[in-house]
Amino acid sequence: MKPEMFLGLSPLLVVSLGGVLLMIAEALGKRHFDQYDDRASGPSGELSIGTAVTLFAGAVFAAAIWFVGPDKLEGVSSFAPWLIVDRFTLFFSFLLCLGGALASLLAGGYLPEHRIDRGEFYPLITFSTVGAMILVAAGDILSLFLGLETMSLGVYAMVGFRRASLRSTEAAVKYFMLGSFGAALLLYGGALLYGATGHTDLAGIRSGLGALANGGKASNVGMSVAAAALIIAGLAFKVSAVPFHMWTPDAYEGAPTPATTYMAVAVKSAAFAMMLRIFISAFGGSGLESLSAGWPPVVALLAVLTMTVANLIAGQQESVKRMLAYSSIAHAGYVLVGVVATTRAGEDAQGSILFYLLTYTVSTVGAFGALIWCGSRGAEAVSYEDLAGVGKRHPGAGLAFSLFLLSLAGVPPTAGFFGKLYIVKSAIGAGFVPLALILLVNSVLSAYYYLRVLVFMYMREPAPGAPIATPMKSGYVTTALVVAGILVVVLGLWPTTSLQLAVEAALASR
Amino acid sequence: MNPLDLVFQQWPAILAGIVGALLPREGSTKQRTGFALLAAFTTMFVVWLWPSSTPVPVSETGPSEWPHLLNLLIALPFVGATAVVFIPRQMLSILRGVTYLVLTVGFVASLWLLTVPMTAGWHFQYIKDWIPAFGIRYHVALDGISLWLVLLTTFVTPIAAYASFGSIKTRIKELCFALLILQGAMIGAFVSLDLFLFYVFWELMLVPMFLMIGIWGGVDRIKAAIKFFLYTMAGSVLMLAAIIYLVWVNQKLTGEFTFDFLALSRVVLPKATQVICFWAFSIAFFIKVPMWPVHTWLPDAHVQAPTGGSVILAAVMLKLGTYAYMRFSMGLFPGPASNLAANLAGVAILGGILYGALVAWKQKDVKRLVAYSSVAHLGFVMLGLFSATPSGAQGAVLQMVNHGMSTGALFLLVGVIYDRRHTREVDEFGGLAKVMPVYATVFLIVTFASVGVPGTNGFIGEFLIIMGTFLSERLGKFAGIHTVGAAAGVILAAVYMLSVVQKMFFGPLKNPKNRHLPDMTVRETLAIAPFVVMIFVIGFFPGIFLDRMKESVQLHHNQFKVVSGQAVLFADERDAKLLPEDTFSPAFMKGAPKKPAAENKDGVQAANAPAGEGKVAQ
Repeated sequence: MKPEMFLGLSPLLVVSLGGVLLMIAEALGKRHFDQYDDRASGPSGELSIGTAVTLFAGAVFAAAIWFVGPDKLEGVSSFAPWLIVDRFTLFFSFLLCLGGALASLLAGGYLPEHRIDRGEFYPLITFSTVGAMILVAAGDILSLFLGLETMSLGVYAMVGFRRASLRSTEAAVKYFMLGSFGAALLLYGGALLYGATGHTDLAGIRSGLGALANGGKASNVGMSVAAAALIIAGLAFKVSAVPFHMWTPDAYEGAPTPATTYMAVAVKSAAFAMMLRIFISAFGGSGLESLSAGWPPVVALLAVLTMTVANLIAGQQESVKRMLAYSSIAHAGYVLVGVVATTRAGEDAQGSILFYLLTYTVSTVGAFGALIWCGSRGAEAVSYEDLAGVGKRHPGAGLAFSLFLLSLAGVPPTAGFFGKLYIVKSAIGAGFVPLALILLVNSVLSAYYYLRVLVFMYMREPAPGAPIATPMKSGYVTTALVVAGILVVVLGLWPTTSLQLAVEAALASR
Repeated sequence: MNPLDLVFQQWPAILAGIVGALLPREGSTKQRTGFALLAAFTTMFVVWLWPSSTPVPVSETGPSEWPHLLNLLIALPFVGATAVVFIPRQMLSILRGVTYLVLTVGFVASLWLLTVPMTAGWHFQYIKDWIPAFGIRYHVALDGISLWLVLLTTFVTPIAAYASFGSIKTRIKELCFALLILQGAMIGAFVSLDLFLFYVFWELMLVPMFLMIGIWGGVDRIKAAIKFFLYTMAGSVLMLAAIIYLVWVNQKLTGEFTFDFLALSRVVLPKATQVICFWAFSIAFFIKVPMWPVHTWLPDAHVQAPTGGSVILAAVMLKLGTYAYMRFSMGLFPGPASNLAANLAGVAILGGILYGALVAWKQKDVKRLVAYSSVAHLGFVMLGLFSATPSGAQGAVLQMVNHGMSTGALFLLVGVIYDRRHTREVDEFGGLAKVMPVYATVFLIVTFASVGVPGTNGFIGEFLIIMGTFLSERLGKFAGIHTVGAAAGVILAAVYMLSVVQKMFFGPLKNPKNRHLPDMTVRETLAIAPFVVMIFVIGFFPGIFLDRMKESVQLHHNQFKVVSGQAVLFADERDAKLLPEDTFSPAFMKGAPKKPAAENKDGVQAANAPAGEGKVAQ
């Protein structure tokens, strides 16, 4: 092993090592039982900081390798195809670590506040991030699956973290069943691809499919099509595209909010990274990419359904948390538009997806974080009614929530607006004008339900006699919100640099 | 300077000040001082702006154009809003003070814009790269058209703030914040010449107005606020799609990404796409104007909004629709704008002027009536723009300002009566002239302005527009019919406005609740006085306004004529084309992004210059 090889894997190693240390610290550290009333006495205090530091360190290492240049590191390419260390991987590693770190900061405030302060949460989130980082780096179906399962298992446990709550347990079981189902579909698709091409690595699959396109056995062609269908379905489960989204609202609503945040940002980003890897590195250049008969029309249909259905249902919700769940489905639809655009606009479209995921991550962390902030022990803010009058009683919380929601709605000059703008631009540039128009109309639909939160916060008063939620006090949550808020504003006003980085990170599609 | 000289030089102002001080019958000293100052300043203003017969020597760039003036006007409110966030909400007087200070400084600074002779082309231009990867630039500039709209904004917002602080007593901090953000965004939208920047300001305006309607509005405020937001946003996302499409086409033609309005003016889209993009832009603007049939958000928003919000909405925000149509729809898609002008003029007359007037006539709520009268008045503005004649366009720009004055004043007046009786039903009133003589007088004056009685501002604007319509070549053989329709609209305006005046102020004082209403307070009088003064200033001295917009309007008109002809001629069935740069006046193209090649050319010129000198030396 050369030292460069360690450096190449350093984000992964740092986070794994941190996870192990956190686990030991948790096992040896002070125990905490639910009956303690003192919010500071639990393990969250130290572990949350530890997790955040670990994950931020992972992000810093990823950034460092970016500036050194992953192609300059000798010997790193020998990990391929199991792990590919390229700019794409580094960008996503950074994104995942950022999302994970912010989510763990939120957990540091949320878990003690709601008396579920058990230290397991932090190693779980760390190892789940390790899985996600393996997933985005994977260049082989096998390591891809390994990463996927590592990531998912941690999240299943986090969803069911509130053991006493039936909803949480139900959410965990539902997510576990459907998640495993989706993973199984992916695995089956991978097996069929192996059968059709004789390869499990994506580059090999690509060349195999290319050979098939130039005249192969009819049965193999059929097998590859079936494999593609299964893989698309599996991916659609993971990114929660309509009609494979049924688990999402329940799982998001039942999970503790920091876990929801983690699912909405990190898991979703990793799933999109996996989707891009498979579509571009494996299916690219073969018959499966054809605009008439390959994956693009299917994904375009999924995108339209996802955006429209999710936005229409989100408008009907009475729970803000569930609304945010549907909104995250809708955002997946917007990203799918970008995925379709990669067929023609290439790196530009990939850059727009990566940038979008970045803006989406900071806005969503902010929105969930503000929701966490608005509730306190015994009175978690979940419904619109809970938020009535928040803007008046607690202007800080109201302002923060408004900023993140406006970013999600895509009101300039916030980050979310630029994210949407670039996706629309690449879609129009690729000639998919109808998709871009549907996206824009959908963003108007979405403005309705984001505005409703503002309406409740600023223009309604709580019903007489209703319990009035007081915002919690937690330095962790505030820190996470400040970081996310600064990023939302900075990415909104000066997006040039980050956008260039996102375009540089695009996969070579050749 | 000798004080006596000052007296001799400024005698009209001093005279006016004395008259103003004597005007109130039994006013306090404070009130008299206020009126005296107002009258004196107005006179100084008129004298100062009087078009001088000897042309001012104009140097190439203008000597006193400080390039950061527009930046100051835009940035100051945003800085003020940021400051407001950090002021504790209990310190009401400081919050109000900061807001007044920022708005007043903005107004005074904007008067500086008048010192520059408004020759054709862009003034106070400031360009800075913002997002170079996409050719997005911070590009602001002013011409004779946007000059008056910027001044309108800086003039109206302080008054609206003054009126708001009088009637709104809750959540002052949010109010200050919303007012300041709104002010900055409106000015920004009027002076942006980069489509992206324009879009950012255009959308940014929605949020504070949404909050103003939703927080301090009437009973149905939430519904009205959401309707307002969604209507406008639906229009503007279509515009965004068209902007991106246009940028993309331009990028394919020239290889350069740019969102610059000037550069994009050169693009001629294929025939069908041209029409689609024209509609995508124009629907966004028509919603804002609002033109029939997308006007339905306006009555709701106006009726529910607080007085200050209504004033800003009517006086300034609606003008963004008309201004943006004039600047962007006509500038970027002159072909469809010219082909469809006759039909659109028909819609403006039937749906706007006539239908708006008839609906206004039937309203029982005074505020709703004023709201519908806006639909009718802005129908006139749009008609002036569709007619595409210099006098029509001049009338349209002037009428934008006029409507700001008269309707702003009307909303303030409706607010006055609403604060006293908490109702706006016409039937509740009658014979008010007996108990509130000053109020009745002012209301009548403003009504005259709104109807367009000679001597008030409304007359000038409507006259120019109707004349422009009659002379219009663009409207072809329908010009006569259009003119008759528009003139009928003036009569209908008199019918609905005067009938409401008659019902409210004259006749017997039937309702006992009205018997002891107090007349207008000092605060209310001072808020409305600037509007009344401006009504007469524009009515008697339209020259000072028309003179400054003349050249810009002429340039806009000539260019529209040439470019629309070229665009119709050039437009292809399938491919987009680029008009040659010399189609446009160099004054217009000043500040358009240069290609890297052009920079090289500059370099070459610089290198050649010494060589040339050398030749001379030989």
